[in-house]
Amino acid sequence: MKKEEKRVKRPKVDPIQAPPPEIPEDEIWTYRIEGLQEPHIGGRYKHSASKKVLVVAALLVAIGLSIFLSVRAIHKDTFQYKELQDGSYELVKFSNPGDIHEMTIDCVDGDAAKPVTVLHEYMLNCDDQLQTVRIGASVTQIDGKSFYSCWNLQAIFVDENNPNYCDLDGVLYTKDLSEILCYPIDRDLYLREKAGIENELFVGDPDYSDDYVQKVQTYALPQQTKRIGMLAFNYSDLVRVELPHGLESIETMAFFRCVNLREITTRNGDSVYASLPECLTFIGSDAFSYDQALTYMYIPEKVAEIGHHAFWDTVYKDGGNIAGLSEICVQADEASFKKNVRTGDQWRGEYDHMLFKKAVPVRYGAQREGIK
Amino acid sequence: MASDLSGKIKALFKEIKMHWNTPAEGKYVPYKEYKDILIAVGSNYTGAKTLEYIVFAASCFLIMYHYKLPYLTFSIISIINMPLGYIWTLISWLVSDNLGRLEKKTERRIIALYISLIVVGLAMIIGNVAALFDPASRFVTYMNSLEGISCASAFKILGTHLLYTGWVGARAIFWKKKLIPKFGRYKYSLYSDFLPKCIMVVLIGWLPFYKIPDVVTRVWVANLLFACYNLFGFENQLEICTRNISPNVRERILVRSYPIKLSHIFHSILAILLPVIIGMLRYKWEDINVYRYVIPITFVTAAVLTMVFAGRVQERIPQPPLEKKVQIHFWDGMFGVMRNKYKWMLTVVNLLDSLGNGMLPFVTILYLYTFRLSGLLYSLIVALVSFAGTPPDLLAPYFLKRFTYKQLMIFYQLSRAIGNSIIVLSLLFLGDRLILCGTICVVTLFFLEMCKTVPATASYDMEVRINDYQMYLSGERLENFSGVFGWFTGPITSFVGLIIPLLLLKFGFNSNWDVLFIDDSRIKIIVIPIIIDIIGYLLMTIPYLFWDYDDAKQSKVMAVLRRREEVTGNELLSEQMQTDPEPDTQPVNAEVPS
Repeated sequence: MKKEEKRVKRPKVDPIQAPPPEIPEDEIWTYRIEGLQEPHIGGRYKHSASKKVLVVAALLVAIGLSIFLSVRAIHKDTFQYKELQDGSYELVKFSNPGDIHEMTIDCVDGDAAKPVTVLHEYMLNCDDQLQTVRIGASVTQIDGKSFYSCWNLQAIFVDENNPNYCDLDGVLYTKDLSEILCYPIDRDLYLREKAGIENELFVGDPDYSDDYVQKVQTYALPQQTKRIGMLAFNYSDLVRVELPHGLESIETMAFFRCVNLREITTRNGDSVYASLPECLTFIGSDAFSYDQALTYMYIPEKVAEIGHHAFWDTVYKDGGNIAGLSEICVQADEASFKKNVRTGDQWRGEYDHMLFKKAVPVRYGAQREGIK
Repeated sequence: MASDLSGKIKALFKEIKMHWNTPAEGKYVPYKEYKDILIAVGSNYTGAKTLEYIVFAASCFLIMYHYKLPYLTFSIISIINMPLGYIWTLISWLVSDNLGRLEKKTERRIIALYISLIVVGLAMIIGNVAALFDPASRFVTYMNSLEGISCASAFKILGTHLLYTGWVGARAIFWKKKLIPKFGRYKYSLYSDFLPKCIMVVLIGWLPFYKIPDVVTRVWVANLLFACYNLFGFENQLEICTRNISPNVRERILVRSYPIKLSHIFHSILAILLPVIIGMLRYKWEDINVYRYVIPITFVTAAVLTMVFAGRVQERIPQPPLEKKVQIHFWDGMFGVMRNKYKWMLTVVNLLDSLGNGMLPFVTILYLYTFRLSGLLYSLIVALVSFAGTPPDLLAPYFLKRFTYKQLMIFYQLSRAIGNSIIVLSLLFLGDRLILCGTICVVTLFFLEMCKTVPATASYDMEVRINDYQMYLSGERLENFSGVFGWFTGPITSFVGLIIPLLLLKFGFNSNWDVLFIDDSRIKIIVIPIIIDIIGYLLMTIPYLFWDYDDAKQSKVMAVLRRREEVTGNELLSEQMQTDPEPDTQPVNAEVPS
């Protein structure tokens, strides 16, 4: 019986269509709807004085806390260290108060008992004041991203007693020179001052010459170097780079946004040849991204892996013509390249083509060009 | 079946034709106004969306690529302006919730304050207040240590804040009094701000302040420039107006689901075209011509169209005539909103939602930095994802009738938690397989968008309903005084909101967005804030479990409001008849009930 009663559908009344309640004229401001609070318009509130005090106090506490927490959150010590298990310290972050152009990283607050051994990633991120960094003997571990976006950095000098790292005229290397870690972004200013050149010169300037490029915008890596570290040359103003024949690896974003980089050559003893070294096996992601001055790229046969976007945006349309790296030359033939080389997505540059993007062609089985 | 459908279509056309100029019984909006809403809201929305490319924040290309301001500077500036900001906000609430019609004495005092602020602000910008302090003092040293700020520039930033507050406040009183009686409470600002905003949009790309070499000067000058730019608004006021287009809640939903939804198509088309046009520029988004030509031309076109059609869209809140408006005193406003339990519940929801504050625009990062999309392909994917919400939105009236607000909102939060979890997992485990990872992300975003639109419509509608309820409770909507809830939750939101930027800073995100090209950093920068967000989504289901404001209650609230409108309208009429039996002009101010 009960089940049958339940089954009988009751006609649904749309609450929106329900007839409005009768509200007398003198109750329009006080009429209370069932299930809702009573209106309170005009008139005094009960215990209003104590309520006001309570609200003001709560608001003052809330506002005070908001301001305090906000200020705390942006407060930064110039140096932030983290103590490590072995009693040494990691430099986590350096926040430039605005007037520090040179810093030495060796120990915490000048206390030799508290040596700094590790440099954290992004510790100098986006600093635009520092020009020189001196690394003490105690530092044994430097992250590849430690000097990222340190815009005005001209030189990194390493204490000669440091067991793991060294510098070659302000360029940071591992002690055995097998890996380059950082070519400071503004090193050309350091080289200009060294060469007695007052002003920065650009293509088209009357004084801009091959001599200027050679002195300020050219860098030759030592023959011992086998690895170009992550971000090593990013944003540098180099025009020419000379790589060693024994180089095996070019890591992620190694030459990222080197917008003036026109010429890559490789030195093998006394001879020099164009583009990447024969011994190279790895090209990291975004290794040459945005290097639109490049016009020639030869990938030797030993390369086994090319990261995603390795040559991204190295080609562009210039008045209808395709400029930049409009073709990639590969030593291997197509079949062996596709079989042996692991390529990341969109590893080739792409240019605008009929509203979409088109990847630059690859010339397989290409012969290496001579130096122009 | 076919004849049934064609019969329905014929009936629909007949209905539209019959009620083209006059609304059907029980409804308030003629179909002709639907057409006007389509164009007016479409262009207003497009204009407002275009302005999102120009903001004083890290997400703006003008700021990041041309002005190159440090990321943390925005937080520092907001802290400098924060303490005094609380006081100015209280005053602006009082002015706004009284629709600019204050008691004479109060008005005089407030105007005097605003003028003083303008004078002091100008003096601080022009002069060097920092010179009054000892350069070696702790205060000056501390201020100089802040990123992108010096002691001198901090005072200029504070001066800018005072100037901005004074000017905006004084303008608001003037224009509210002048324009609200004519254009209503929501769209009046379009009329006062249209022309100056157009001028500022053009100027902001052409003024070469981004070439200032010193970052500290660049920061305060950019802050001043954007303060001048922000003096004039061009928000999507017409859409806000249409939320109150009818006292009939079902009609509101119809307007929201059809003409409003369709009006967004203008922006969808623009969202396809704009990246294509910008993609043709030499430096794409980083090209200054984006801000010199593309944005201004788009905005001015949309703004002109908006103004042509704005007058034809009406707001229809059942409310007493302005002359009989309830005068809101400060404590009436404060206590009034605090009595509204639904506002407290929504405050808890917002508090939990703030767990994602400070997060970078994750979808944009995904498209631009992970998949390197640009040009037409970018536009197509963006359009595809944003289109996903359209079909469910067209069915919103059905869903809103079939399901309660509580059910919809719980479903929404759970869908967001699940969808974002899928994205996080694909980024973590398939991060290096860009195509696969991208496909999973885009498909998930597509479904998330589908699940979003109906709850969003329900949410907009509930916001209006809660304001209706507030009007029943307090005699005014108190939309501005509702801001006090944000103050109570401020400590927690500001704490949480600054944790994410600091986390991002730790992962390498600063003024240089190129860090997003570094795979492991990008994944940390995207994934960690999303995980925090997911926790927030799950917790946000809890307050909705207690939601009990339903159609029946809303219906009764509207009946009370309509009755108040009717009675006060009659009162005014009889008062006017007594003072002037044959009035030939607008009624004069009657005594304001308080």
